[in-house]
Amino acid sequence: MIKYIIPFFLILSVASCDIEDLSNPNGSSIAGFDKDATKSSLQTLVTGIEDLLRQDVGFYYDVVSIVGREYYFFTGSDPRYTGEVLGKGQSQLDNAGFYGTRPFSGRYRTVKTANVLIDGATNSSLITPADLNGYLGYAKTMQAYELHLVANLQFENGIRLDVSDPQNLSDFVSYQESLAGIQSLLDEGASNLGAAGGSFPFSLSGAMTDFSDPSSFLGFNRGISARIALYQGNKSDALSKLSSSFMDMGGDLNVGPARFYSSAGGDFNNNLFRTPDQADAIIVHPSLIADATAGDARLSKVLLRQSGTLTLDGLSGDYDVFVYKSLTDFVPFIRNEELILINAEANIGGNNGAAIAAINVIRNAAGIGDYSGGMDDASLINEVLYQRRYSLLGEAHRWVDMRRLGKLGDLPIDREGDDVWVQFPRPVTEN
Amino acid sequence: MKRLLRQMALSVLIVSVFSVIGFSQYTVTGLVTDQSGEPLIGVSVLVQGTTTGTITEIDGTYTIDVLSDPANLEFNYLGYATSTLEVSSDSNLANLSMTESASRLDEVVITGLATTVKRSNLANAVARVNAQDLVGIASQSTLEGALYGKFKGAEIKANSGAPGGGVAFKLRGVTSINGSSQPLIILDGVYIDNSSIPGGLNLVSAAGAGGSTSNQDNPSNRLADIDPNDIESVEILKGASAAAIYGSRAAGGVVILTTKRGKSGKTRISFGQSVGKTSQLRKLGVRQWTEEKVLGSNFADDIDNFRAGQIHNYEDELYGSGGSLFNTRLSVSGGDDKTKFFIGGSYKNEEGIVSKTGYKKTSVRINLDHKISDLFTATLSSNYISSSADRGFFNNDNSGNTIGISFTSTPSWAQLQPNDAGVYPSNPYAPSNFLETAALITNNESVGRFIGGGSITGKILQTDKSSLKAVFRGGIDFYNLSTSAIFPNSLQFQRDGAGLNGASVQGFTKNLNSNLALFLVHNQYLDNGMSFTTSAGVTQEDFNQNTILGEATDLIGSQTNLDQAGSRNVTQNRRIQQDKGFFAQEEVNYKDMIVATVGFRGDKSSNNGDVKKLFFYPKANVAINLQNFNFWNSASPITQFKVRAAYGESGNFARFGSKFTTLNSTIVDGRAGVFTPSLLGNITVGPERQKELEVGIDLEINRRFSFDATYYIKSVEDLLLEARVPTSSGFSSQVTNAASLQNKGIELGLELGLVSSQDFNWNARIGFWKNTSEVTDLAVPAFTTGGFADFLGNHLIKEGFSPTTLIGVGPNPTIALNEGDTPSLQEFGNAEADFQMSWANNISYNNFDLSFIWHWKKGGSNINLSTLLFDLNNTTHDFDDITLDPEGVLGNGAYRLSLLGSNTEPYIEDSGYIRLREIGLYYTLPSSLIPGGGTFKIGFSGTNLINIFDYNSYDPEVSNFGANGLSNAVEVTPFPSSKRFDFHIKADF
Repeated sequence: MIKYIIPFFLILSVASCDIEDLSNPNGSSIAGFDKDATKSSLQTLVTGIEDLLRQDVGFYYDVVSIVGREYYFFTGSDPRYTGEVLGKGQSQLDNAGFYGTRPFSGRYRTVKTANVLIDGATNSSLITPADLNGYLGYAKTMQAYELHLVANLQFENGIRLDVSDPQNLSDFVSYQESLAGIQSLLDEGASNLGAAGGSFPFSLSGAMTDFSDPSSFLGFNRGISARIALYQGNKSDALSKLSSSFMDMGGDLNVGPARFYSSAGGDFNNNLFRTPDQADAIIVHPSLIADATAGDARLSKVLLRQSGTLTLDGLSGDYDVFVYKSLTDFVPFIRNEELILINAEANIGGNNGAAIAAINVIRNAAGIGDYSGGMDDASLINEVLYQRRYSLLGEAHRWVDMRRLGKLGDLPIDREGDDVWVQFPRPVTEN
Repeated sequence: MKRLLRQMALSVLIVSVFSVIGFSQYTVTGLVTDQSGEPLIGVSVLVQGTTTGTITEIDGTYTIDVLSDPANLEFNYLGYATSTLEVSSDSNLANLSMTESASRLDEVVITGLATTVKRSNLANAVARVNAQDLVGIASQSTLEGALYGKFKGAEIKANSGAPGGGVAFKLRGVTSINGSSQPLIILDGVYIDNSSIPGGLNLVSAAGAGGSTSNQDNPSNRLADIDPNDIESVEILKGASAAAIYGSRAAGGVVILTTKRGKSGKTRISFGQSVGKTSQLRKLGVRQWTEEKVLGSNFADDIDNFRAGQIHNYEDELYGSGGSLFNTRLSVSGGDDKTKFFIGGSYKNEEGIVSKTGYKKTSVRINLDHKISDLFTATLSSNYISSSADRGFFNNDNSGNTIGISFTSTPSWAQLQPNDAGVYPSNPYAPSNFLETAALITNNESVGRFIGGGSITGKILQTDKSSLKAVFRGGIDFYNLSTSAIFPNSLQFQRDGAGLNGASVQGFTKNLNSNLALFLVHNQYLDNGMSFTTSAGVTQEDFNQNTILGEATDLIGSQTNLDQAGSRNVTQNRRIQQDKGFFAQEEVNYKDMIVATVGFRGDKSSNNGDVKKLFFYPKANVAINLQNFNFWNSASPITQFKVRAAYGESGNFARFGSKFTTLNSTIVDGRAGVFTPSLLGNITVGPERQKELEVGIDLEINRRFSFDATYYIKSVEDLLLEARVPTSSGFSSQVTNAASLQNKGIELGLELGLVSSQDFNWNARIGFWKNTSEVTDLAVPAFTTGGFADFLGNHLIKEGFSPTTLIGVGPNPTIALNEGDTPSLQEFGNAEADFQMSWANNISYNNFDLSFIWHWKKGGSNINLSTLLFDLNNTTHDFDDITLDPEGVLGNGAYRLSLLGSNTEPYIEDSGYIRLREIGLYYTLPSSLIPGGGTFKIGFSGTNLINIFDYNSYDPEVSNFGANGLSNAVEVTPFPSSKRFDFHIKADF
C-alpha cells in the first residue's frame, strides 16, 4: 500500500508548488510601450532609431559602391566582396548572402522600431497633439529614408511598404509603386512636422544639430523627397521639393543631417573609416583616378598608398578611399552638395542655364573652374553624372545613378566574366 | 507527511519484529579471498531473495544472520565474478575464493535517479568507461578528451586544438538543430554546468560582423574543469530510452560521472607523475616559392622582396613551440567500518604548441562516506578546481587579425621576427604580424570552481523481505570565470590609429547551479522469486548565471584596467532558470530471468512559454536473460544470452530567452536608446520531445567472449528551430517547435579475452557504430544553416534529407529550397560518418602492460575554409601540386579558386581518419624490489601519435562554431591540434 501512497503524496506536493514566471532579466520588453508611454521612454525609442540608422549601414555603402565600380573591398577574411558582388566568373548573387540580407534587414529593423514609436506615441495620453505630430513626423521621415535604401538595392524586386504587423506583412510592390509609397510617407511626415509646433518633444544627437526642430527637420524631409522625385523621373516635382528643402546655393556643401559616431563607451565607431595603408583595405577603383580632372579638390577623398599597389583576386589599385577621416566622422544622410546637383539635373531640359549655374557652384567649390562643355541636354546630363561621381564618392550614388539613367553598361568591367548587377536578389527569408 | 511516514514506519517495524520471531535464525560466517589467498575487504554478501546483507571486514571475514534454510549467499566485488554459495543451518561456514573477471556483467549501472542495476540485468546499452580506460593508458588534458573513441555511439569534436578543451558531443546523432545537442552532465548527483562562455574576442576579430552571428570566440566548455583522475567511472546514457528519468534536460543524453571513494581497510596512497612533450599533430608545410611562382601570384609586385628576403617556414616558427607537459597527482584513501575517505589532488601544467599558450590546473577532492548509525548513512563529495588556460587568438575573423588568418596571407619571405629591442615589424601582407600577436596578446580563461554534493540515506523500515529507504540529495556547482582578452596598442593592428588603439576585454561570470532531490526507494521480495523495486521522488534544479563583460578600447599606454581607457563599454547577460520535476519508477525482477521497468517523469520549467504546464516523459523496458531459464544445462558455455528492449522519452529546452521579445539597448551621443531585437519572442515555445526505442542482445561465452548488438530509432519531435521570419518584419528569427527528425543506428561490440594465462594476457575490445539521420517533417520552408554561405558550404535542412547534409553550389544542382523552384544547390557530402570503429587492446606479459586504442572514422565531410583562405592568398602548401584538375593543367590552388563561387566541391572534404588514439607501455617493478609492498610502475604513453587522413588541414576533428546543435563541421584556421608523448611514474602503496 505504502508503495502507492507515497508517490501520490509526492506528486501532490510538487503539483502544488508552482514555478515563478520570471521576467527576462536582460532587457525591457516591447509591451512596455503599449499604453501611456512617457516622453522619457519615447526618447529611448528615438535614440534607438538614431542608433539603428547606422547599424549595418556599412554593408549598404560598401555593396552599392562596389557594384557601382567606385571602390573594391580587399579583405583576406571574406572572398565575396571581390567574388559574387563583382559577378566574378560564373558566380551569382546569393539570396542568403550577408551583403544583400544585412542591409535589407538592418533597414527594416529601423522601420520596425519607428513603428513601435508611432504606436507608443499614438497610444499615450501623456503627450500633447503637437508632441504627437513631432514623433510621427520624425518616425515617418526616417522610415521613408530607410525604405528608399531598400528600394535602391531591390529595384525591380520591389519592397514591402507596410510592415507594422509581423504576422501580416503587406505584399511586395513594384519599384515605381515603392517610390510612390515612400513619397506619400514623406508627405505624411511633412504634414505632421508642419503641425509639430516650434520644437520636438525629444532630443537628437550632435549629428542632427542643424535639423533638430520640426521646421529644419522638414527641410531634410523635403530633400529626401526631392531625391526620390528624381528617381521617379519627375523633374518638376524635384524642383518644387527642393524649394522647401535645406538647399543653399551659397552655403556649405557639406551641411546635412547625419548619423552620429563616437568612440565613447557603448557608442559606435564609424566603420566606413579605414586606417590608410592596411592590407585589409577599401581601394579606389582605378577608373576613378584615371578619369579625374587635374586639381580637383575632391581628390582629397582618396589617398595614395605609401605601401604601393595592393592586389587581390586579380584586382588592384593604388589609392585608399579616404572619404571619412576618423572613427568619429559623421555619415550624412544627404548633403547640400547633392541637393544642388539635384537642382542642376532637374533643370536640364527645362532651364539649362539654371542647370549650368548649379553645376558651376559645384565645379568652383572643387576648384576646377566653370563648365565649358556642350550645352545640349545629353552633354549636361553627362556633366552632372561626372560631378556626382566625384562629389558623392563613396556615398552610394554612382550605381543608382547609372541605373536610373540606363547607363549600367558604361561601368567598367575589370576581369573577364565579371558582371554589373542590376539589383540584389530578394532575401531568401522573404520567400 | 513526515508524521505519517513515521507512523507507517513504526507499524511496519512492529510487524517485522514479530515476523523475525516467527522463523528460526542461524548465523553464517566465512572468509573471502582472491585466488592467491589474500583477503578481500568490502565484498558485499547478500542473502538472495532478501534484503539481508553485509560486507567483509578488514581481514576478509564476514558474519551474516540468515532466516531461510537452506539459502543462497551472493558475493559481489568489483572486478571479480559474482559468485553464489548455498548455506544451511548445518553448513554455516562458507569460505570463498573469488576469481577475477574481465567480464563487465558484474558492473553496477546507475539507471534511475536513486537506483542501480547490475549490467547483466540492464535493458539498455549504457556505455561505461572506467578509470583504467579513462586515464590508465595515457595522460589526458581534459575529461572530454579522455573519452575519445572509448565508447560506441558518440561523435566528439573539438572546437580547436587550443589548450584547455572545448568539445562538442553528439550521442547517437543530431538531436537538435537550434537547441543544444550537448548531454546533461551529472557528477556525484550534482548538475554540472557545461557552458561555453565567450570572452568577447569578437570585439577585435569582428567574426560575427560578416555573414554569421554565431559565437566564434572558441571558448572552452566548463566540463574541462573536472579532473579525469578523480573519476571512478563514466556512464553514458545515449538517448531517451535510458535517460527518460532525467526528463526535459536529457535529450542530448546524460553523462553520469562517479568519483573515486574510499574503501574500508588499509590506507592506500597513490602517486603519479608524468612529464611529456606536445607537438603539432600534422604539419601541412608551406608553399615552396620560386621566382616564377611569385611572378604568377598575387605577390608579383613584391618580387624584389622575394629576391632579397630570407625564406622562413612560418608554420614551424608559429606552431613549433613544442610545449612541455607536466602532471602530478596524489591520492590517499581508506577508512574503517564507519567512515571512509578519499582525498585526491592533482596539478597540471601543460604548454601549447603556440608560444605563450597553455593550460594549468589544480584540483583537490575530498570524498567522505559515513555510517551515522545502522539506519543512516551520509556521503559528501567536494571538489575545488583552479584552472587557467591561455588559448591564443584563432579561428574566423573579419578583420584579418587572428593568428590563423594572418598566417594564411603571409608569404614565406616576409620578415616578421622582432629586432634586438624586441620590436616586431609590421607585416606588410596582413593586418597583423602573427608572431607579434602570439607573443603579446592575452586570451586567458581562469576558473575557480567548487563542486559539492551530499546525500543522507535513511532506512525507514527494513524487514527480511522488504525495505524502504529515503535518500535526500543535494549539490551545488559554483564557479567564477574570469576571461581576459588583451590586445595592447603596440600591436600592428592596434597601433598608429589602426583598430581600436588597444583593447582590453574583461569578462566575469558567476555561475551557481543547485539541485535538491528527495527519493524513496522500496524493495520487496516475494517468495515466488519476484522482487519489486519502487522508487519515486521530487527534484528541483536552479540555474543562475551572470556574465559581465567589460570592454575598454583606446587604452592609455600599456594599461589594461578597464578604467585606463578612452572608451569603455559594459554588457551583462543573465540566465535564470528553475525546473521542478517528479518521477516514479517500478522495477520488477523475476529471478534475474525477466527484469522489467516502467516509469515516468513530469517536469515544468521557467524556460517554457507556459511555466505551469507539466511535460510528462514515460519510459518502459525489459531485459530477458535466457541463460537463466535453464534452456541450457549448467555446463553450457553460454554465460549470458540476454535480449532487451527499451523505450523512453525525454526533452530539450529552448535556448534561454526564446519566449521573450527583449528590446536591445544602446547609446548614441550619451543618450540611452532601445530598439527592437532580431529575435521575435514566442510565448508558446516548449521543449523538444525525443522518443527512442532501443532493442538489443547481449551474449557472453565462458565469461571470456562477449558480443552485444543494439539497434535504435530515435525520433525528435517539436524540434526547436530558429525559424527565419521575413526580415522585413524588423525581426530575423523566432524560435518555434517546427520540425521532426529521426536517427537510426546500430552499435556492435565484441569483447575478447584472446589469451589468458599466468604470464600472458590479451584482451581486445572492438566497437562499431553507425548512425543515419533524416529530417522527417519540416513546418517551415527548407533552409540552409550552420556555415557562412551556400557557396562556401552549408548544412541543408529539408524534409527527406539528413540534417547533416552538406551542400554548396555546383555544376549539377539537384536541390531547390522551395518546391517548384529551379534547383540551385548541390549535395557534396554529409558531416556524419559512414561508420566508426574502435579497437582497444590490453596486453600484459609478465610485468609489461601494453594498451592501445585505434579509432577509425569512415567518411563524413567537413567544410574546409582554411584551405580557401590560403588559396585566396596564394599561400596554400599544395598550391602548385597538380592532383585535382581533371585536365591536369592547373595547380591545386588555382584549380580550387577557378571553381570558387560556381562549385563548392573542392572545399568540402572527406574527414574520415584512422588514428592511434592512445598507446601506453608500462613496466611494473617486481614486488620483491619494493620495500613495504605496493606497486611501482614506469611507462611511456602517447596520444594521437599516428593519424591517417586525406583531409587537407591540420585535423578533420575540429569546428569553428563550438557546441552548437548542428554546425560542427566548419573549419576556419583553428588552433592546430596536437599530439603528445609522456613518461610516467606511478606508485601505489
